[in-house]
Order: sequence, then structure tokens, then C-alpha cells
Amino acid sequence: MARATRLSSRVDFLLFIGCVIASLIALVLPAQMREPLAESLRRSLVAPLVGLQSNAERWRTAWQLSEERTARLDSAVMRGVNAVALQTENEELRKLLGLGARLRTGFVPAEAVHNAVREDVVTTLTLTAGSRAGIKVYSPVITDQGVVGLVQTADPAISIAILFSHPDFRASAMSGDGTAFGIVYPHLQQGLGVSGSGYLLELRGVPFRTTLTPGTMVYTSGLGGAFPRGIPIGVVLRELKTAEGWTRTYLLQPSVNPARVTSVMVLTPRREDQRVESVWQRVARVDSATRNVVASGDSLLRRAAADSVRRAAAARPPAESVAAAGDTANRTAAAPVRRTPPDSTRAARLVRTDSARRDSVRRDSVRRESARRDSVRRDSARRDSARRDSARRDSARRDTVRPAAVRPDTMSTLR
Amino acid sequence: MSWTNAVRTAVICAILIVLHYTLRPLLAWRASIDFLIIALMFGSVRMRPGLAAVFGFALGLVSDSLSPGAFGAAALGMSVVGFGASWLKAVFFADNLALNGFFIFLGKWIFDLIFILVGHRVHGWELFMQIVVWSSLAAAVTALAGVLAISLLRPLMEVRTA
Repeated sequence: MARATRLSSRVDFLLFIGCVIASLIALVLPAQMREPLAESLRRSLVAPLVGLQSNAERWRTAWQLSEERTARLDSAVMRGVNAVALQTENEELRKLLGLGARLRTGFVPAEAVHNAVREDVVTTLTLTAGSRAGIKVYSPVITDQGVVGLVQTADPAISIAILFSHPDFRASAMSGDGTAFGIVYPHLQQGLGVSGSGYLLELRGVPFRTTLTPGTMVYTSGLGGAFPRGIPIGVVLRELKTAEGWTRTYLLQPSVNPARVTSVMVLTPRREDQRVESVWQRVARVDSATRNVVASGDSLLRRAAADSVRRAAAARPPAESVAAAGDTANRTAAAPVRRTPPDSTRAARLVRTDSARRDSVRRDSVRRESARRDSVRRDSARRDSARRDSARRDSARRDTVRPAAVRPDTMSTLR
Repeated sequence: MSWTNAVRTAVICAILIVLHYTLRPLLAWRASIDFLIIALMFGSVRMRPGLAAVFGFALGLVSDSLSPGAFGAAALGMSVVGFGASWLKAVFFADNLALNGFFIFLGKWIFDLIFILVGHRVHGWELFMQIVVWSSLAAAVTALAGVLAISLLRPLMEVRTA
């Protein structure tokens, strides 16, 4: 038993030593011999495992690719969203830059940070500029579209502004033509707005004798001391019925939507003393001038088109008109030229056609007249020559009979 | 070892070998689980040392054939680990999961040590880092996976005596 155990131990040890020696031989084999051995193993015994491993690698690669693709798609979508936001911001900043160029001096640009607490109606904004930049309490906050609000608190680095939707907001206002004055208040009874807008204003205290039509622009009047004259506030929507009978109150649609404000200008006290109405009126003038230029360009184009059509019709060969002249002459005579065409080009064409017809009719009648005259002349000439010939023949006969007897009428004809 | 146990051991080893070539590439960890070592340890404790050395040599050759840079290194390492595991089974392979885990950890670490030293793949500081950090981590991960595999397969491997 002990001997058998010892024997088996020796066999085990020998097997182990054999494995170790075989491993060492495999290790020291030259590459030319090692590679064919490994390849034969890969092709025979290990082939299923190689297949499993390659499949697993493929799955992993596919999974990584899918992850990469998803990440790329996500980043593309993110870039798209950012691009839209950047475009909007760029437009807003460009407008603000335009306003800055028009104002020239006396303003502080600031970013408007909305409060973290979500409000249905935004009433305050935090501005990223403060008293260090020259902002003071009650400094007007504006955008290129008009009034936004007033600075309520000015810290060194930041300031807080109340918007026109804040219950404490007031601004002295006037109509665009300066005939009506009043005070602008926030319209606190929400839900009466147009197209779901939660931001409406009221123009109160307008004299009863003054009526404002919907669409009238309302500006700051400069009387309250806070806002300089001429900054747009909003547009009259309609009149509100109130208990007071001696003044009128109008509902206004503000020029600015505070929920979308991200960048603003704060007017410094130096600028408040100067007039700013030309800043917005210049824009209005430029707009109207642009509209006029476009309109005049349109009319010039229309006129040029009509001229070219007229020239083309005039260059048409007269044979067409001659052929149609027989029919058209009567029609022209019977029916007058149509005076109310739907558009100028068509009218010009009709007028041209009628005049061409008239000309051709005239030409035809002239030709007929001249032909008639020619034929009459030819007939009379023929008759005269025939008469002369017969007279000669008669005279010759008479001469042969009575040469001395000449009739007085034939003498005159001969003469 | 009865035929039934031999077949069960063979099936479990086959499953572990398949896992080595399917799950391991999917996970692709830096310190990855070595299912071949788990299969070797699992089989070696149920074999005679000589047979365990041959089993280790065969597994090592399979492993070497797929990475011919150090052809024979894995065969040598697994032969040593298999023979040692089979020889020391009476000492270590008790019915204790923690001890089994340590046994697998040791087997993996020794295998890595032999493989790295014999294969001459890394040198200097990198060799030190590989042996101390990455091999230790891989051994720990393999030990955890081995403990998990043993606890899952224990009901299957219980010898029912009449």
C-alpha cells in the first residue's frame, strides 16, 4: 500500500516535472517553430474558444460603437439646442448693441438674471452690474424695445430691478403725438390679456376729452423724473371701463416681454437728464424710410414692366393688324375702349390693341381712298382719250367730207 | 473520484473556460477575472497532483496559443499552480469559503508572478507595479468570482453518500 502510494507520488512528480520541462521547451522555442504550434492549436482544439472570444470582442465593439454613436447624437442635439439659444441671444445682443450705439453714452449694460424661484409673472430681475458701474436706485432699466423697469436696490456688484409688472411700478406716460398724458400702472387683474400674455399695463388718468385708438403707441413723458422722455412703453389695446367718470383708463400691451429679457441697459443719472426720444424715433423713421424705398422700388418695377410690354406690342408686324382690321374696325367703332382694366399692364395692352386697330383702319381707308382716286383718274383719262380719239376719227371723216367745216366743241376738246 | 463527480467537474470547468472567453472580453477590466485559474483550482483539488499538473499544462497551452508572445509561460504557471493546488488540497481546501477565496487568490497571484517573470514582458518599476498592484487586484477579483462560483456550484458538487 505504502509502496503503491509512493509510486503514484513519483508518477505525479514525474508528470509535473514533465509538464514543467515541456513548458520551458515551449518557452525557449524559436519563433519559427512556436508560431506554427500555436496556430495549429488555434485551428484545432482552441478554435471554438477563439470563435467565442472573437464574438465577445465584436459584441463589445458594437456596444462601444453604439455608446459612442449615442454620445455623438446627444452632443449634436445639445449643440443644436445651444445653437438656437445662442442665435436668440446673439439677436438680442445685436439689438442691444444697436441701442448702445444710438444712446452713445450714459448707460451700463447688464445681464438680467431671473430669480431661481419660478414665478408665473416675473416682477423682479437681478442685474449683473451695480453701484460700482454707476447704477443708482431708480435708474431706468430698458431694452431696445422699451421700458423694462426701475432699479430698486443697487449693491456694489449687482442690483435688483423691479419690472413694470411689479405692483409698485409707476411711470408717467404720453401718447405718441403728445396729446394725452397719464400714469402707467401694472395691470394686476391678469387673464384679460391678449393671446395669453400675462404682462399688461394700464394707462390711467387720461383726460376724458381725449380718446386713444387701439394701436396708439405710448411713450414715457419724462415728467415723473425717473424715465427720460420718449422711451416706448406699449401699445393701446382697448379702453377699460372704470368707476371714475372724469378720466379714461386704457389697457396697454407692453413693448417688452420681461420673461424673455436676458440683457438690459441701465441708464445712468447723467443720461436721464438728456433726451432719448430721438433714439427710438430714429428707428421708426428708418423703418418708414425703408418701407417707402421698398414701395417706390415696386412701383418703378411695375412701370418698367408695362413699358417693355408696350414696346414689344409696338414692334409687332402690321400685317396682323391689317388682317384683323376688317373685323375690328366695326367693333372699334361700335364699342368704346375699355377704361377699367384689372391692372395697369392689362390696361396698357388693351389700349395699345385698340389704338393699333384704329391705326390700321385709318391706313386701310387711306389706301382705299387713294385707290379710288387713282381709278377715277384712270377712268376719266381713259374717257378723255377715247373722246379725243373719236373726235379725231370724226374730224378725219368730216375732213374727208367737208374739210373746212370744224365743229366748235371738238375744237375746244382738241385744244 | 467517481465518474459522476468527474463529469460534473468537467462540465463546471468547461463552463468556466467558456466564461473566460466570453464574459472576460465583454467586461474588459484592467484587473480582470481569470476564470481559467478558477477552473484549474476547481478541478485540481479533485485530481491527483500529476493529473492536475497536466490539466494546468493543457489550460496553459490553450491560453498561450491565443497570446503567442510568451508561448509556454502560462503553461508553466498553470502546471505549477495546478500541482500545488492538488498537493495542498488537504491543507487548504476545507469547507470554508474565505479559505477557498484565499486559496484562489494565492493561486492567481503565483500564476501571474510566474507568467510575468518567465514571459519577460515588463521590467523595472512597471514589473513591480504589475506584481504588487495589478496582479494583486486581479487575484482579489478572481478570488471573489471564485468564491461566488463555489457558493453557487456547491449544491451541484456535494457528494451524496448512501
